[in-house]
Amino acid sequence: MAAVSEQQALLDDIVAKLELALQRRYGQAARVENVSIATLGASNRTLLFDLVEPTGRRRLVLRQETLKSEVSPFISPHDQFEILKVVYRHGVLVPEPIFELEPEDDLDVGYVMSCVEGETLPKTLLNAPEFAVARKRFTAQTGEIFAKLHAIDPGEVGFLEKVVDSVDPLAAQISRYDAYCEYHPGLDVGIRWLENNRPQDKPRVFVHGDYRNGNVILSPDGIEAVLDWECAHIGSAMEDFGWVCLRAWRFGNIDQPVGGFGPRDEFYQAYTSNGGQAIDEEEIRWWEIFGSLRWAVLNMMQADGHITGVRRSLPFACCGRNTSMIEYDMLMTIKGHFS
Amino acid sequence: MSQDKPDIKEILVTVKELLEGIAKQSKGSERYEALCGAFLLSVVDRELDFGARQDESQSGELQQLLGREGSLSDLYQQFCQQVRGGELDDQWPAAFDFAFKQVVDKVSVTNPKYLAEMHRSD
Repeated sequence: MAAVSEQQALLDDIVAKLELALQRRYGQAARVENVSIATLGASNRTLLFDLVEPTGRRRLVLRQETLKSEVSPFISPHDQFEILKVVYRHGVLVPEPIFELEPEDDLDVGYVMSCVEGETLPKTLLNAPEFAVARKRFTAQTGEIFAKLHAIDPGEVGFLEKVVDSVDPLAAQISRYDAYCEYHPGLDVGIRWLENNRPQDKPRVFVHGDYRNGNVILSPDGIEAVLDWECAHIGSAMEDFGWVCLRAWRFGNIDQPVGGFGPRDEFYQAYTSNGGQAIDEEEIRWWEIFGSLRWAVLNMMQADGHITGVRRSLPFACCGRNTSMIEYDMLMTIKGHFS
Repeated sequence: MSQDKPDIKEILVTVKELLEGIAKQSKGSERYEALCGAFLLSVVDRELDFGARQDESQSGELQQLLGREGSLSDLYQQFCQQVRGGELDDQWPAAFDFAFKQVVDKVSVTNPKYLAEMHRSD
């Protein structure tokens, strides 16, 4: 049980430093209570806690970066925090950004945001009776959220122009794939297809980059908040459409392309009727095939964490073998068997 | 067979049953990890059944497609580099079919239930 006590010691250390960080900002009376771990995850560590002050109590979230790799596909926590501020200001449903960690907090890099109550577990959202109404609303609500997000002037997040995914998303995935020195015939055939069928340039917009079932908080009434902005960049609006419709994010509900929740036409209709640009279905298909490449490479990244010992974990070991199923989705989509 | 009983298959099944038993009695991350372990052992089981035959068949196809010999990992590397560079564009259907077969082989080992009807062998 050494691992359990190590984890407890780590948690105690974080909580002690967090309380000091809060006291620096909110006064000596500030306290941390009701700490719970949301994830000690692959790329980040997320803790939920109450900030207790004489004036009241507030549920907050501490998010720290844990993946420190040269081939990390994620933007810095500083940029994530800047994005939260921009989208919050524009009324996109996100947790309220509270403060960014600073070096004197001695808590690595990260930020604190408000805690939004709800559920993110994909299979619970797709199956639990209490989410029946939320399920019906997901598709149209996502169309509305995309319309609002893609309407934000990309100049407001101009710092994202330097992200490799903003420059050439396909080249970015290829360089991540190459970093693992593995040879996957399925992926290279997919890459060649993507190169030979690149879509024409579209207006460049601010894209979330990781909007999918699992990264959205739902209450029984519908979408409450969009999380996980670490893949945000500037690109084609159709990229966000392709990613949310990826087969892997349907969690078995393969006949409901939009995250397993609903049909494409309702989704596209909600987007355009809320001011979104014209939908290009052929380009969305390209992004779904691209999305399989990207998801396969992310699984290779997890497996690499296990193999190199950086983050030993049985689930990460499974990720390496799961790559084959993602490649299967990709080639079946290219062949026209999957849609 | 130079080793005494139980053989590899029997050992695998025994440990897999142990992990499945642990999964049934536990919750949260312990349950999930036990299920992952059991899944990986089922992968090993299928790889023992099919792996060598798949490697041999893929090797033959790749040697013919690329016109050269080599270990399977060398041939994969050659294939990937040539596909990436467009050198196999004039043999695209054959290149695609090989990659497809390789992927179906991998899924047959990893999770055969994932395959569409047309690719199932059972």
